[in-house]
Amino acid sequence: MGALSLLAPIAWRNLWRNPRRTFITLAVVATGVWSILSFDVMFRAIADGSREAALRLLTGEAQVHALGYLDDPDISRRLPAPSGALLASLNGPMVAGWAARVRVPAVGQSEYRTRAVTLVGVDPTAEREVSDVPTEIGAGRYLLGPGDAGVVIGRDLAARLKTRLGKRIIVMAQAADGHLAETGFVIVGLYDNTQGAEDEFVFTGLTPAQSMLGVGADISEISFDAAGTAGLDRALASVKQAAPGADVQSWMTLVPLAYTIESFSQTYTAIWLAIMFVLMAIGIVNTQLMAVFERTREFGLLQALGMRPGLVVLLVSMESALLIGLGVVVGIGLALATVAPFTHGLDLGFLAAGAELAGVGRVLYPRLDLHDTVTYSLIVWGLGIVAALWPAQAAAKASPAAAMAQA
Amino acid sequence: MNAIIQCRGVEKIYRQGAVDVPALRGVDLEIGAGEFATLSGPSGSGKTTLLSLIGGLDRPTAGEIAVDGAPMGPMSANQLADLRLHKIGFVFQTYSLVPVLSAAENVEFILQLLGQPKAERAARAKRVLGEVGLAGLEDRRPARLSGGQQQRVAVARALAPKPAIVLADEPTANLDSQNAEELIALMARLNAASGVTFLIATHDSRVIAHSRRQIEMIDGKITRDEPALAPA
Repeated sequence: MGALSLLAPIAWRNLWRNPRRTFITLAVVATGVWSILSFDVMFRAIADGSREAALRLLTGEAQVHALGYLDDPDISRRLPAPSGALLASLNGPMVAGWAARVRVPAVGQSEYRTRAVTLVGVDPTAEREVSDVPTEIGAGRYLLGPGDAGVVIGRDLAARLKTRLGKRIIVMAQAADGHLAETGFVIVGLYDNTQGAEDEFVFTGLTPAQSMLGVGADISEISFDAAGTAGLDRALASVKQAAPGADVQSWMTLVPLAYTIESFSQTYTAIWLAIMFVLMAIGIVNTQLMAVFERTREFGLLQALGMRPGLVVLLVSMESALLIGLGVVVGIGLALATVAPFTHGLDLGFLAAGAELAGVGRVLYPRLDLHDTVTYSLIVWGLGIVAALWPAQAAAKASPAAAMAQA
Repeated sequence: MNAIIQCRGVEKIYRQGAVDVPALRGVDLEIGAGEFATLSGPSGSGKTTLLSLIGGLDRPTAGEIAVDGAPMGPMSANQLADLRLHKIGFVFQTYSLVPVLSAAENVEFILQLLGQPKAERAARAKRVLGEVGLAGLEDRRPARLSGGQQQRVAVARALAPKPAIVLADEPTANLDSQNAEELIALMARLNAASGVTFLIATHDSRVIAHSRRQIEMIDGKITRDEPALAPA
């Protein structure tokens, strides 16, 4: 504490002896921090967008299926309605929400056209726990209850089938007994999502779907979200234990693209951090070396007056700490200013096709993550001080007489 | 008289490329407490080198130096720094102030290194700056002081911690006549008043004229060491 109060004012004033050099170093550090944080924010937004787009469509954070369903989603591979231990687990504290569905490949037919679709029978109340589709109704309404015999289809599918709200479509699918079941449904709502989702999923009430397919109370899948941010592993373990004969998988294996994007975002950020740090280190070491060599006599003088060599190292390190710290703060400020205009979302509508191809939602929400900001800032700050130790050691190792003899 | 500085067979050889350049060739010297002595001689005679070795700013190639009875040979860099801080004050020829500190802060800096409380060191700095004739200029940074004033601050800084010895290396070299005279008179007065030992390397005849002991060096050896004929 004594050394800090002794050296801090000198270190601070020394920064401004050569304002041009100080501003150059500040600019290098601030630009580096800004680019690292902005890069992190964008990749995280893309990863979050990809994850949310995938998970909040139908996947949820994890799903339960009959064995083999994921390879061949046939109506024969189904589960009984949750009961006993599985129901207790799904209603337990580790699971935030869950929805059971019937989900089978089908054919949708209007008066004009026929398209391959996936028929999804849902309980609308439960569905709202794990999916955003109920809130994405662009026209008409969502299903009113598990017995609702209307259908909600994607807006793009309606266009492709050349049909519209209030019209009837025929949905055909293989029933449990093997025969081709077909039912006419009135379109009660059109939803907006990615074009792929709009074209594929046709929603009706759980009961009409079960009835059409002749599966009684059986279902095809259960989607569920874990309670808390770190609870997925525990929730998975609990559900797996309660459903030993079922296939229980997390979103990471169900939607590998989203998981890969999330993993890559961290890797890319780390690579960018390394590149930027090397560039910053070159700038910091250069400027600090110049600052130290210009003041060799002064460091000799300080030692001649009785300052220990360690205090000289501390003085130079403190100057670096202050300078880099200031650069980090400016960099964070720049990153905040960059992100601020997009707090309500960055609409990628103009890139919709590309965004969809990359598995990203149409709107990204770039946010400066506190943990990442603190972590990356401390890394830059700490490594910057370490990089400046070399010039600091150089300043302290010369004998006072030799240092003061420098021109 | 107690010897506060003792040099025994001190040699210093600088290596310049492949050539050894002897700067001191076996110097024996004792300086008593309270003396006001000058080291004189032509450029390259070894005055500054001897002063640097006595001040612990460098180490001799051979021989032994003791300050206030403490041999410096076995001391580490930290111990030498502590010795300088507690026992030795320096006044250099040029550029001897920390440019980002005011006159008072330059003086206080040493006292802060010694761990003195703020109020105590502020009062001490104000007093010694007053003693060297810089009252009212305490808040000025070196760039806003004349050369003479800067050297006075350096003298004040050297004296503030009440050292046993003040080593001054050509303190008047960059001063005009009037400032040089005033600085010499000031150091002589402070020596008389406080009893602190002054050893001054100089070839300024005005400084030599004020000294009570004149030591002359040529080619790294002491060639004359005697009391002044007419001490000031």
